Amino acid sequence: MDFEPDAEQTEIQQAIDALLERHAGPARAIQLAAHAGYDQPLEDALHEAGFLGLATAGAGPLEAGLLVESAARAGAVASVAAAALVAPGLEWASLPRPIALADASEAGPVRFAAHARTLLLRDGDQALAMRLAEGDAAPVRSEYGYPMGALPTRSLDGEPLAAGSGATLLRWWRVALALEIAGTCDGALAITTAYLKDRRQFGRAIGSFQAVQHRLAECAIAIEGVRWLAREAAYHGAPDEAAAVSAAEAARVAQLVFAETHQLSGAIGYTREHDLHVFSMRLQTLRLELGGVGAHRRAVATSRFGAGAARG
Amino acid sequence: MNFRFSPEEEGFRREVRTFLADWAGLDGFFTQGHRWSEVHDLFRAMGTRGWLSLTWPEALGGLGRPLTYEYLLWDEVGYARTARNPLSAGIVARTLVRHGSDAQRERFLPGIRSGEIHFSLGYSEPEAGSDLAALRTRAERRGDAYVVTGQKCWQSYAGDMDYLWLLARTGAPDSRSAGLSLFIVELDAPGVTVGRLPIVDDHPLYEIHLDGVVVSEDRRVGPEDGAWALMSEALADERHIQFPPGRLRRDLEEVWAFLCEQGLERDAEVRSTVADLGVRVLEAEMHALRVLDAMLRGHDAASAAAANKVVFTVTCQAIARAAVDLCGPEALVQGTRPELLWRQSLWETIGGGTSEIMRSVVARADLGLGGQR
Repeated sequence: MDFEPDAEQTEIQQAIDALLERHAGPARAIQLAAHAGYDQPLEDALHEAGFLGLATAGAGPLEAGLLVESAARAGAVASVAAAALVAPGLEWASLPRPIALADASEAGPVRFAAHARTLLLRDGDQALAMRLAEGDAAPVRSEYGYPMGALPTRSLDGEPLAAGSGATLLRWWRVALALEIAGTCDGALAITTAYLKDRRQFGRAIGSFQAVQHRLAECAIAIEGVRWLAREAAYHGAPDEAAAVSAAEAARVAQLVFAETHQLSGAIGYTREHDLHVFSMRLQTLRLELGGVGAHRRAVATSRFGAGAARG
Repeated sequence: MNFRFSPEEEGFRREVRTFLADWAGLDGFFTQGHRWSEVHDLFRAMGTRGWLSLTWPEALGGLGRPLTYEYLLWDEVGYARTARNPLSAGIVARTLVRHGSDAQRERFLPGIRSGEIHFSLGYSEPEAGSDLAALRTRAERRGDAYVVTGQKCWQSYAGDMDYLWLLARTGAPDSRSAGLSLFIVELDAPGVTVGRLPIVDDHPLYEIHLDGVVVSEDRRVGPEDGAWALMSEALADERHIQFPPGRLRRDLEEVWAFLCEQGLERDAEVRSTVADLGVRVLEAEMHALRVLDAMLRGHDAASAAAANKVVFTVTCQAIARAAVDLCGPEALVQGTRPELLWRQSLWETIGGGTSEIMRSVVARADLGLGGQR
């Protein structure tokens, strides 16, 4: 039991942060969002530095998870989780990037689909990798933090993995989602905390009011819970229950942090000149992905108590 | 970063489980007030194994093990509901190990180690709860003794204990935390009156009146007026065993069993609620491990422990409430486990520092939000 990064993990983390410092950040996200753009240079830089291969080459899924968390914390507009954690979880190396993740049973828009060259699709108990050409997935307008696309309507050529791979895809996707939520919440919390120390009303910083402090403390506590549940799940190879547990808690906390950071930031948080929206609006997309908190909880229940014919 | 206990640690956990299997019916976590002689026997049996002195230095009769072993021990005891960790082997022993005189160590440590002698905590007062530095009980110096007068309250199990671990004011009335001293006082000393304080669960809380109690100087622990640092240090030493996630695992298992008895195990709302509670229990466990991890590397675990307490206690109440919400009045019938959990857990967000104090600690330490408290 050891929650401190070892020397190698510290080195990896520093290198990741240095790269993200150069290539990502809220300003870059705002710039890209103006035309629903995708940060291909960032993804390429992460690839060239070897970070997208962390899960398989030398390090492991925990280190890849730290990358996913950090990229989200930096507001990266790139499909890092799919490339660094989910595809390697399926032992599917070197798929054409960007990679978008989709579930055939979900009708909604898909993050990054309009820019993706591979669609990693869960179709029941099978996972398929489908090649996407430009224009296959029509862009879908969204104000919730990510470039979105519609699932293609024409039938696509897909390379299927063995039966059972659908569940594997789902497990790693859930862990990746929880890590993204942890990192995104970090971003929202940091901006809000800084603002509350800076903003003065009634002659004092509003962060000195206890009513404000306690609500933000509750967010900070909840985010730590998500972070460590998700890291633990990544470390253990995304077991069914741990994956569902981390996603369920992440989806719950995403809404808490969304609501609280906005309420505590007041009017400035509602403007686009303030960076909060870069992170907060994403939390809505993330918390609803894969069926949201209800679906994650059902998965926890199934893994604990077996399948239940729902009543009532 | 890794998320496994070592094979030796896992082995110790199994050893504890095997030991506790013999005490399965005790339920001392809830019943210690009525079954003290059995709980006392349990502590003696733990003492024989050296488990009440796991982390003490070997020179003082301890096993010199890392804190992880204490964490595992009390996590399993929490799950088995056999007892609560005794104050004697906790705050008292840790303070004596560090700051006690040779005579005090010789007098008290062997009995604590063997599970024989036990202490009640004499901190809180009617006017000093969350704001402990406001306490008024006075210890007046008279030659080589002190004369103690005042009132303490909210003392767990005091009616069965041997000694009071007393915090009293030796400095000026307005000296706040700079004028406090620690004493060991016999609970049957002349001038000490122990009275039961009826509360809404079966946990025995007491109030203690001290009326001109004479305490000799050699029963003062640490320097005069110097108690605050010792107390803070001792509290910090206990953070890894204060909120064992095993207790929550067991709470949820029992509530789930109750819901199944009511025929609700296939109800979609019930399953979703219990799944969410299962998530919270694991979250609480991660927070407990964060505390342990910080302590193992010698870091200040104050804010991690505050977060842990909030998550643990809120989850504790949520589990009990689920049974009540999902079953209705059936769950309030006296004698059912959910009913007891619902009453008992009310105390959890209050005792040992309220949730509000904990959130203030996190806001200050983790977020750097200062200003008025």
